[in-house]
Amino acid sequence: MKTDGSVSQVAIPEEILQRIESRGINRRDFIKFCMATTAALALPVTFVPKVAQALEDNRTPVIWLEFQSCSGDSEAFLRANQPTATELILDLISLEYAEVVMAAAGHLAEEAKHQALEKYHGKYILIVEGAIPTKDDGAYCTIAGQSAVASLKQAVAGAAATIAVGSCATSGGLPAAAPNPSGAASVSEIVPGATVVNLPGCPVNATNLTATIVHVLTFGKLPATDRLGRPLFAYGKRIHDNCERRGHFDAGQYAETFGDEAHRKGYCLYKLGCKGPETFHNCPTVRYNEGVSWPVMAGHGCIGCSEPGFWDTMSPFYRRLPKVPGFGIEDTADKIGIGLAAATAAAFAVHGVASCFRKGNPKDESKVIKED
Amino acid sequence: MAKKIVVDPITRIEGHLRIEAEVEGGKITNAWSSSTAFRGIETILKGRDPRDAHHFTQRFCGVCTTVHSMASIRAVEDALKIQVPDNARLIRNLIMGMQGVQDHVIHFYHLHALDWVDITSALKADPAKTSQIAQSISDWPKSSTDYFRQVQARIKAFAETGRLGPFQNAYWGHSAYKLEPEVNLIGLAHYLEALEAQKDMIKVHAILGSKNPHPQTFLVGGMSIPVDPDSQNAINADKIAWIRKLLRNARTFVEQVYIPDLLAVAPAYLDWAGIGGGVGNFLACGDFPTDNSPGTDSLFFPRGIIMGKDLANVMEMDETKITEYVTNSWYTYSNGDDKGLHPYEGETNDKYTGPKPPYEFLDTDSKYSWVKSPRYLDQPMEVGPLARVLVAYASGVPEVKAAVDYVLKTLNAPAAALFSTLGRTAARGVDALILAQKNELWLDQLADNMGRGILEVHNPEKWDPATWPKEARGFGYHEAPRGALGHWIRIEDQKIANYQAVVPSTWNAGPRDAHGQMGPYEAALIGTPIADPEKPVEILRTIHSFDPCLACAVH
Amino acid sequence: MLEIHYVWQWPVRIAHWINALCIVALSITGTYIGAPFSLGGGVNPYLMGWMRFVHFAAGYLFLVSVLSRILWMFIGNHHASWRAFLPWLTPKGRENFVRMFRYYTFTGNNISHESGHNPVAATAYLGIYALCLFQIFSGFALYGQFAPGGFWDSALGWIFPLLDNQYMRLGHHGVMWLLIGFFINHIYSAWLMDIKQKSGVMSGIVSGYRYIDPEDV
Ligand code: HEM
Ligand code: HEM
Ligand code: NFV
Ligand code: SF4
Ligand code: SF4
Ligand code: F3S
Ligand SMILES: [Mg+2]
Repeated sequence: MKTDGSVSQVAIPEEILQRIESRGINRRDFIKFCMATTAALALPVTFVPKVAQALEDNRTPVIWLEFQSCSGDSEAFLRANQPTATELILDLISLEYAEVVMAAAGHLAEEAKHQALEKYHGKYILIVEGAIPTKDDGAYCTIAGQSAVASLKQAVAGAAATIAVGSCATSGGLPAAAPNPSGAASVSEIVPGATVVNLPGCPVNATNLTATIVHVLTFGKLPATDRLGRPLFAYGKRIHDNCERRGHFDAGQYAETFGDEAHRKGYCLYKLGCKGPETFHNCPTVRYNEGVSWPVMAGHGCIGCSEPGFWDTMSPFYRRLPKVPGFGIEDTADKIGIGLAAATAAAFAVHGVASCFRKGNPKDESKVIKED
Repeated sequence: MAKKIVVDPITRIEGHLRIEAEVEGGKITNAWSSSTAFRGIETILKGRDPRDAHHFTQRFCGVCTTVHSMASIRAVEDALKIQVPDNARLIRNLIMGMQGVQDHVIHFYHLHALDWVDITSALKADPAKTSQIAQSISDWPKSSTDYFRQVQARIKAFAETGRLGPFQNAYWGHSAYKLEPEVNLIGLAHYLEALEAQKDMIKVHAILGSKNPHPQTFLVGGMSIPVDPDSQNAINADKIAWIRKLLRNARTFVEQVYIPDLLAVAPAYLDWAGIGGGVGNFLACGDFPTDNSPGTDSLFFPRGIIMGKDLANVMEMDETKITEYVTNSWYTYSNGDDKGLHPYEGETNDKYTGPKPPYEFLDTDSKYSWVKSPRYLDQPMEVGPLARVLVAYASGVPEVKAAVDYVLKTLNAPAAALFSTLGRTAARGVDALILAQKNELWLDQLADNMGRGILEVHNPEKWDPATWPKEARGFGYHEAPRGALGHWIRIEDQKIANYQAVVPSTWNAGPRDAHGQMGPYEAALIGTPIADPEKPVEILRTIHSFDPCLACAVH
Repeated sequence: MLEIHYVWQWPVRIAHWINALCIVALSITGTYIGAPFSLGGGVNPYLMGWMRFVHFAAGYLFLVSVLSRILWMFIGNHHASWRAFLPWLTPKGRENFVRMFRYYTFTGNNISHESGHNPVAATAYLGIYALCLFQIFSGFALYGQFAPGGFWDSALGWIFPLLDNQYMRLGHHGVMWLLIGFFINHIYSAWLMDIKQKSGVMSGIVSGYRYIDPEDV
């Protein structure tokens, strides 16, 4: 077994490299890509050959279904970097169905899907983007005359693994925001028994999607997840605990208004409504668009886009705490609290004054021994 | 007897679009455009903080991401009479400009090209001849024989696995494909290159907007991305230089790849300059303010209306003349479905009355779509790059005139050729080119401001809802990649009382109105030849030329 | 004759004052955490860091103190007992409750005299203990978020899929105001009863002794 001299620790078998080259892929690119992927999965370098092997194996069939979505997650996929969308589509997976990019249309597209569902039964990875409406027998989203509910159930049944991408698919997202006009639900709500890996975000970070796919290809199993089915490698920590502005938070240095000096200096955005302290996501470490930036870095607070129900619980977005249920839009918990405390104090002041003038002392005066 | 065909899903678009059409004598004689998905975001917005609205509306669409943030904050700024700082105007122009370029590149290569380019034919191309053609039409450096041989080998190896993935089951080999193998190979190579290029150019959004899709630095009153030459946490000289490089690369790609490809593919399809004309009325709301004066006079792309293909007569566009019908859409209006409503009074009461899924055909005699039918003075209007470019062309905007005349001259076609499927696709290229060239100017102006110590990006005056009037209403506009976009907001007691959006694809994809007038998609399909009703690639061509976005259209 | 009763055993008194201290400290630091004032540039005093440190340290102390007091409810004398917080379980308790309630609302002129809590106060304390437990629960659940998979997250994190993180925070923040409301009420009532009952209500919680006329009880 020869190794590529340039990266001595990484012993990707020569046979694999040759086969890769015969498919028109540059070997150095491939090695670099395997290393990056290994790193993205937080694995030691000794895993590089295993990753390489997994990637080299026959392309895993992938079916991508889109329901009540904005296609933002599909677009995020097109911006993927390690691997790129091209590498994924040509070399790593076999994208059997994906409305945004597939060449076929109409009944021929549906035929391609049904063939894949049958031929790769139990073997394909199902990726779902968008929420699923339940109102009126699912008539609020149909494709080729079939309801999203029915398409989803059918596709999940034969999937080796189901990955829900974006907050709409993982928790209903935007369509499910109050008052949820279409009865939108998440993948897990529609198919309760199924094993679903949830990759929330609005949109999903492409890096987290590709890392999940590669994780499955490499280990033949799904990554470990938290209580909400989110992989720990991407959602295992809060934004706030990895944030580059955390030093300013701890120091008590906050931007007060957008564009003020503190804001320009990169102080903490807590007082401008940042939801980093309540959001589990790897934005600060992975960032977006090949690591260029992420919301807090660009001066806007996190809106908590990877948390279930964030459209309702994290809004108003420029305030840190949600609206107190039953109160007006501008009533904060503090305004209400101060009001309550003041009212209590006032009530007792009145009570106290009244008590002073109160006739008839309840302590039976006859029992008190008066001293002269 | 006419044969009714259904194309559902229309793929390589955003969202869920279904076309039903009647074909007789090899031509489409009747057509219905329907969107089959609804979310109800206008309803969701009611009662929320107007300053939050742009986060919600931006998610109308992840393809033309940013555009609904733009229109939304403009609507709120209009309602509250907020003037944004000059830097915010420039950053917004840059974000909008790059959105236009990148969206058009993706559309041309990844959503539209495969209607004209036959990948299987590319495998038969001669790489040397391909190289020759490529070098004759452009200075783009990736044009050697070796390069095209490599691309061909890669796709060949891919095809030989027998698993074509996203390219399977398409209409390959269809008689309507007319390009020679070598041009097909160029198209294929650039399909792959564009996939890389688009994700680089959009880094401009990441730098200025934190990420793409769904940048997160828009604010009512300005932007939240700080500019400060002396800060490491703001747009500084280093970031300006980075953006400049990205802008330049994007421009080079458009000038040396996109436009030459467009001009190389078009001659084989000149018959499509006579197909797909549609309603012939055009509406542009205009965009890209060139200075900070209020009003619409400073817009680089002017606002205007063209009726009945009459380029000699550009009329004023007045938003109060816009109404939306739901006569054939799955909604009800409290005062009857046969009357159009202006968006300030607009309603979104969903009521599905179509067939219960699974179904084979829609009941096209009654309501048949989730898209409403917007009308201007009761007329259906086409919006989009074509409308935008036509209004600018007819108004004599020099850059636009030069670019359009160049394209027409190269293709040896009259201006009337623009009213077509091919014209729509060409106008999109012109739009991309002009925006790609404009972007650097806005960046220069931003840098200039910074150099002079002008660092303001947000106007905080009306940030606090306590400063707002009890009632206010505003109109926000934007020339999105797919055309004229309008958001209308009514604010009462610091909350959203009503929110209505009339979106480019609502204009274009809408069904018939109360007077039975077809929407632009429907009208454009009439007369389209269909060689093989089982493989209606011609429908895709005309429909894709509009660049449909149905999540936008319905929202 | 007035008798001197040893009512509040030392664990009750110590727990009471530790609790009171913790609540004050937690409210001050919590208010800052909830709405910090900016220090701007220049110095780097690590102010939020300290506030949070004090909050968490006081939080632990509060946890121990409240739990000890709850333990003492099963060990201590009948005034300390958990039964003392459920006065309306007995007919006499109900009667006294009504009497006290009427007294407080100016609809009656008699007060009940007991050596322990008066029944209305006891009921309020029950509520206060519930609020304290909620603060401890929500506080430690939020605290656990910095270390998913750690002790606090494993013990309490299960709550979040049921009750959203943000509402938990809002609740934690809002209950502070309820506690502040109680505080005002509590000190006023103690003062009022001290004057009216003349049984050493105020000093009792320091010394443990109260002065009771057996005929009153
Ligand atoms: C009387 C008891 C307490 C009061 C009045 C209190 C008050 C507060 C307040 C007002 C906040 C700010 C919440 C916001 O606006 O987001 C807060 C935050 C917090 N409190 Fe408490 N708290 C109490 C007990 C506890 C306890 C026992 C713990 C347990 C360790 C705790 C842990 C926390 C944590 C973790 C936070 C969030 C701080 C951050 O991560 O920045 N609290 N508290
Ligand atoms: C000046 C400060 C305070 C004084 C003079 C005071 C006085 C008293 C008195 C006299 C009692 C016994 C009441 C009765 O027999 O009905 C008592 C009980 C109690 N106090 Fe306070 N208190 C003070 C501060 C606080 C504070 C700040 C808190 C917490 C918010 C608090 C919480 C309690 C509780 C929970 C009880 C029930 C005692 C138990 O059985 O554990 N106190 N206090
Ligand atoms: N139609 C549309 Fe959009 C655009 N461009 C919206 O305004 O695509 Ni998603
Ligand atoms: S999660 Fe966000 S990006 Fe994805 S479909 Fe939903 S709204 Fe669009
Ligand atoms: S900016 Fe947000 S995430 Fe970062 S430290 Fe401040 S509050 Fe936390
Ligand atoms: S808004 Fe979303 S993208 Fe990251 S910083 Fe917040 S989770
Ligand atoms: Mg609308």
